[in-house]
Amino acid sequence: MGLKGLACLLVLLVLASAPWWAAQQPFLLHMLVTACVLVVPAVGLNLMLGHGGLVSLGHMGFAGIGAYVAAVLMVDARWSFAPSVLAAMLAAGAAGGLISLLCFRFRGHFFMIVTLAFGLMLHAVMNNWDSVTRGAAGFAGIPRPSPLRWGDQVWSFGPLPNFYALALGMAVLAFALQYLVVHSNFGRSLAAIRQDERLARSRGVNTLLYKTTVFAMGTALAGMGGVLQVSFLRVAAPASFTMLESINMVLIVIIGGAGSLVGPALGALLYVGLPEMLRLSNEWRLVIFGVMLVLITLFAPKGLAGLCARAWQWLIPRKTTAVAKP
Amino acid sequence: MNHLRIQSLGKRYGGVVALDGVSLDIEGAGIYGLIGPNGAGKTTLFDCLAGTTEPDQGRVWLNGQEVTAWPAHRMAHLGVARTFQECRILPEETCLDNVLFAAQPQGLLANLAQIWTRRAGHRLAALDEAMRLLHLVRLQDHAHVPAAELSFGQRRLLEIVSTFMAQPDVLLLDEPASGVNPSLLQVLGDFVKTMMAERPRIMLLVEHNMAFVMDMAQDIIVMHQGQLLERGSPAQVQASAKVVEAYLG
Amino acid sequence: MTQALLEQVINGLMMGSVYVLVALGLVLIYGVMHVVNFAHGVLFTLGGYLGHFFFTQWWDSFWMATLLSMLSVGLVGYALERGVFHPLHGNLRNQVIASLGLILAFENAVIALWGPNALQWKVATTEQLVSVGELRFSVHHLGIIVLTMAMITALGLFLKHTRFGTAIRATSQNQEAALVVGIPVRRVQWSAFALGSALAALGGCLVGPLFLVFPQMGDVPLVKGLAGILLGGMGSVPGAVVGGLILGVTESVSTLFLPTDYRDAIAFMVMVGILLLRPQGLWGQRVRGED
Repeated sequence: MGLKGLACLLVLLVLASAPWWAAQQPFLLHMLVTACVLVVPAVGLNLMLGHGGLVSLGHMGFAGIGAYVAAVLMVDARWSFAPSVLAAMLAAGAAGGLISLLCFRFRGHFFMIVTLAFGLMLHAVMNNWDSVTRGAAGFAGIPRPSPLRWGDQVWSFGPLPNFYALALGMAVLAFALQYLVVHSNFGRSLAAIRQDERLARSRGVNTLLYKTTVFAMGTALAGMGGVLQVSFLRVAAPASFTMLESINMVLIVIIGGAGSLVGPALGALLYVGLPEMLRLSNEWRLVIFGVMLVLITLFAPKGLAGLCARAWQWLIPRKTTAVAKP
Repeated sequence: MNHLRIQSLGKRYGGVVALDGVSLDIEGAGIYGLIGPNGAGKTTLFDCLAGTTEPDQGRVWLNGQEVTAWPAHRMAHLGVARTFQECRILPEETCLDNVLFAAQPQGLLANLAQIWTRRAGHRLAALDEAMRLLHLVRLQDHAHVPAAELSFGQRRLLEIVSTFMAQPDVLLLDEPASGVNPSLLQVLGDFVKTMMAERPRIMLLVEHNMAFVMDMAQDIIVMHQGQLLERGSPAQVQASAKVVEAYLG
Repeated sequence: MTQALLEQVINGLMMGSVYVLVALGLVLIYGVMHVVNFAHGVLFTLGGYLGHFFFTQWWDSFWMATLLSMLSVGLVGYALERGVFHPLHGNLRNQVIASLGLILAFENAVIALWGPNALQWKVATTEQLVSVGELRFSVHHLGIIVLTMAMITALGLFLKHTRFGTAIRATSQNQEAALVVGIPVRRVQWSAFALGSALAALGGCLVGPLFLVFPQMGDVPLVKGLAGILLGGMGSVPGAVVGGLILGVTESVSTLFLPTDYRDAIAFMVMVGILLLRPQGLWGQRVRGED
């Protein structure tokens, strides 16, 4: 399994047992749930941005699609949680795929600006399509998943620790998906596209199709995160899916370490944990994050994961092959 | 088999005519040198053949099938592989991964399925061959080193090895010798000859290094100002007055 | 109907003028450094806040406050160019990400320092009215249009007829050639950034008295400014002007037919639509970029 695998397992055990060691501090559990809610779209964005090299500045717009599709299904059509999540992911993924086809007609800055524009357009729809989304006031009354029953045992998702189990489970699922995708032929082709798209094409990769697919995967995960969020908060509001939220998502991915498998987790934990640790107002936290983002691009482009990797390397030096004389 | 036919290929970039009605008939396996001064249109010809660019006019057939304006990834599937003048490799991947990637199946649906099935058969089967090729160019010790850490000459070798790994039927090598020191050049030349001997196929070789190309190729095609100037054996071309005046002089 | 149309056209010209100011700043910076400064919106906001600050704390003169604000933000722009954008030169992705960091830092610093609520900036010109036919507009409204036109003309003359302006144009066309010819490229770069930032600040000061000074006031102008330069063609000054005005007028006129809530979305749809037909924008050059 390797040292890294063991470390991950350990972290997972610690997180899974949180309801017990954090029993006296419910706000800690609340933080962890928030981190899980953020990490799912972050994994999606990491696939697109970190692994695929696609800088999307409208990611949370797609989380909103997932959130509202699930809201309408669960509240208006009385669907249960699981099918709603699937439908939400399908909707967000399909929207992402289609929109990305338009965006890929542009390169570099243009591409980023167009993704920003689409994020804003999606937000405008959420904010104004009152008949469906309930508009700026928000869509209230979103239920937690219905309780699970075995025999006469009932597991309700109302209590925080129980919902945390769901949130953690979905986060782990997202990471598992990321791992499977990255360590596959598809993932390798994606990495090739990121490093040199022209070269990838000459090696037989239909880059447009691959990029559209990874964009759809990323937005589907955003949709999953959106559903988790609104089920947690019991309300869906357009304010959660603005341009600033999309920027926060980019921040989480970059600070955590774009392209690394654990980056989104590090970024989300820092994003949620820092204000608590420093006892800062919301605004100063974001000022610090903004400055961190600038500093990281200047001095540590691989983010926290990169810094951790360097520390790991320093602690456990890998035997490197001797460089032969050319 | 082994028939590449080009008819009246034309391409312009803005006001510059890069290809001006080039027609070529390449029949039979072998190494065909493509020489000419800068701006003669050699790389543009490669771009059109490999699908990197679309020609403005003209047609291309490979083994009887018309492939005019096919995109690069389709040409790759058809067995056309190329190297780039500026030398392109995947800098973050190890040398071994660079080579293995060239042999990886690239169909989207198949690869999406592979995410779940985790079948690594192709990769394992290709491993031995990849290491053998790396041995042939003396890069075996760098198998697990990121390609970015290689010297330029080593990167050229890596690029060429990767290109051969895909088992292409048509190889387009664009100035493989440029930037490579004499000792590595020897390794490169031997490698190409070995590979061509193992499996003969069509290779087009753009080069400015006259010694290298005259040694490798049996047939030399000379281009000048977007057009075909001369074609013949190395001796014939070197003796041709036209060629000497335009280029070799 | 024609009255309503005329009213919206003039409104559109006014908003368009603001977008043009933002777009001009963006285009100056992009032309000279090939950087899209996503943080331009917060410079707009900062300009508004500083203008308000100088107006209420020091001088009771709108012009002095605006001028001071422009100078201060110009200095901030200089610092950003030297400290952030120049070191990241060549790395598109990191430049964009750094500017996102700047957005977060600045926007939230403004909230932390001035509070989340909007500030009122009472200037006389917003209350004095002027008649255009049967319509009434405030002096401030029309003043924005007039001032922007003046700015555009001044900028155009500066770029065409002064030495430094020519240096700016040369650098934006071919940086290496400019270096070879002896143009102080570094000075051109931070000057362009400072000048662009000052233009953003001007925008913020002009809009502040009309629509209040609030932390997110630069977000929409940023995106509209970006849409304007994309529409007009990256790197083209006349393109930025036309793009910004087209955007302003289109979205204002659209409110006559479509619900105002979707006005912002209209602008982006127009932009995306035009770019799909003509990816290089109206004035832009087709660049054979690297894939």
